[in-house]
Amino acid sequence: MSKTPKKFFFFLSTLIIFFIGELLYLQIFHSIDPEAKKQKRAFVTLVGLPDLAISMEADYIRHRSLSTYFSLFKEGPLMREYYRTTYLYQPSNTYFTEHSNER
Amino acid sequence: MSAKINFYLLEFALGALARQRSKTVFISVVLSLLIALLSSFFFIANSIKHELLQTLDTLPEITLQKLQGGKHTNIETSAIDSILLIHGVEDANARVWGYYYFGQAQSTFVLIGLDPFEEHYTKTMQQVVQKYDFMQESRQLVVGQGVKDILKSYYYTEEFNFIKPDGGIVTLPLSGVFNSEIELESNDMMVVSKESAREIFAIADDMATDIVIQVANPQEVATVASKLQLLFPDARVITKEAIQISYKNIIDYKSGVFLTLFIVSLFTFFMIIYDKLSGLSSEEKREVGILKALGWKVELILKEKFYEAFIISCISYILGVGIALFYVYILQAPLLRSVFEGYSKLRSSFELPFVLDLQTLSLIFFLSVPIYVAATIVPAWRAAIQDADEVIR
Repeated sequence: MSKTPKKFFFFLSTLIIFFIGELLYLQIFHSIDPEAKKQKRAFVTLVGLPDLAISMEADYIRHRSLSTYFSLFKEGPLMREYYRTTYLYQPSNTYFTEHSNER
Repeated sequence: MSAKINFYLLEFALGALARQRSKTVFISVVLSLLIALLSSFFFIANSIKHELLQTLDTLPEITLQKLQGGKHTNIETSAIDSILLIHGVEDANARVWGYYYFGQAQSTFVLIGLDPFEEHYTKTMQQVVQKYDFMQESRQLVVGQGVKDILKSYYYTEEFNFIKPDGGIVTLPLSGVFNSEIELESNDMMVVSKESAREIFAIADDMATDIVIQVANPQEVATVASKLQLLFPDARVITKEAIQISYKNIIDYKSGVFLTLFIVSLFTFFMIIYDKLSGLSSEEKREVGILKALGWKVELILKEKFYEAFIISCISYILGVGIALFYVYILQAPLLRSVFEGYSKLRSSFELPFVLDLQTLSLIFFLSVPIYVAATIVPAWRAAIQDADEVIR
C-alpha cells in the first residue's frame, strides 16, 4: 500500500472517532436533564399552556387561545387564522411620538 | 458491476484526489459548509420541536372557547354543568388567564390565574419555584426569570402594581421566581391566584377565559368534541391533537423556508460542478480518455469516479454534521437561533437540548451525498462512452 491510502485511512478514522466522541459528549452533557423534564411537565400540567416563551411571527401559535390586537379576524370554529392574512403590526413608539402633535 | 470494493481502484481514486489536492480541498470545504448550514437549521428546529412535544401530552384533551362575532370572548362558568353531563367527560375546569401589557417596558406578560386550593397546586409550585415563601395566601405573584429581570429594571423588587381596566391598582407581593430549568416555558409568565386574575382583568366571578376538559378515554375525544360543538354552537372546540399539529407546522414552516433556500444554493453548487466536469478542456475528461486508451472499461472508469465522489461527499458529510453539532449544541447557534426565537424583548436564555434524530441525519445524507455523486458520475460517463482518441484530442 502506498503512502496516500495510509494517510487517508488515518484521516478518515480520526474523523470518525472525533465524530462519535462528539456525539457521545453531547448525549452525556447536552441532552435533556430528566429532572428538568419532570419540572417542565409538572409546570405545563399546572398552567395548561405549553407554548414556549419564544416569540413567533404566527401569533395564533403563541397563546392561540386569545384574540389580540394583532388579529383582525379571529377564526370561526371551522377556519383557522393563518399567518400574514390576519396579521397586523403595532406602529412603533417613534410613530406615536412623531404624530403626537397631529392628534 | 461487482458490488465488492476494488482496493486497487480505491487506491487509484485516492491518488487522483491527491493529485488535484487544491480542488479536492476546496470542494470538500464548500460542501461541508453547505451541509453544516442545512444541518444547523434541522438541529435547531428538532430541538425546539422536541422541547414542545415532551410537554404537549400533558395538556387537557379539549379546550372550549366562546366566540362572539368571530372573536374570542369570555365563557360562562355555568357551561361546566352541562359539559359534565356528557358521557366520557372526566373533568372540566374554568381557566382565567390573559395578557398583561406592561407599558413602561412595552412588554406583554402572560398572566395566569390558578386556584391555590386546586389539586397538586402546592406540590407542583414547590417543585418548580425558587423562593416559594407563601402557602395558602391568595395574594401572591410568581414570575418567570424574564419577567423578574424586567420588573427589577423598573425597581419592582418586592411587589408589583397591576393597573386594572378602570384605572385602579392591584398590588401583589412578589413571592417567587420559576426555576431556570423551565425558563423556556415560564420566561414571560406571571402566576397569580384566580381571584387576583379576575380583579386585574375585571372578569366577573361567573365568567372564565376558557374551559378545559379532560376525557378519560382518548378514543372518545372526537365524539366528545362533536357533542360539545352541538351543545355550544358559538364555541370553538380545540383538541390536543389540533394544537400539536399547529405547533409542528409552524416549526416545520420555518425550517422549510431555509430548506428551500438551501436547495437553491446546493443545486447552484452542483450545477457548477457538473458544468465544470463536462467542460471541453477539463482535466478529468482528458484523464478519462487516457484511461480508456490504456484499456480501462467504461464500468471501471465509472467505478473509480464513484469512489472519488463518494470519498469527497462522505468526508464532507461527516465534517459538515460535526461542525453543525458543535455550532448548535456547544456554541448554542449564535445568529441562527434568533430565526426561531424571534426578536422578543423578553429574551429567554434557554439551552438547546441535544436530540439525536437518525431520520434527520439520513435526510441530510440523502440530500447531499447521492446528488454530488450523480453530478460527478454523469459527466464522467459522457466522456467515457466516447472514443479515447476523440476525448484526448
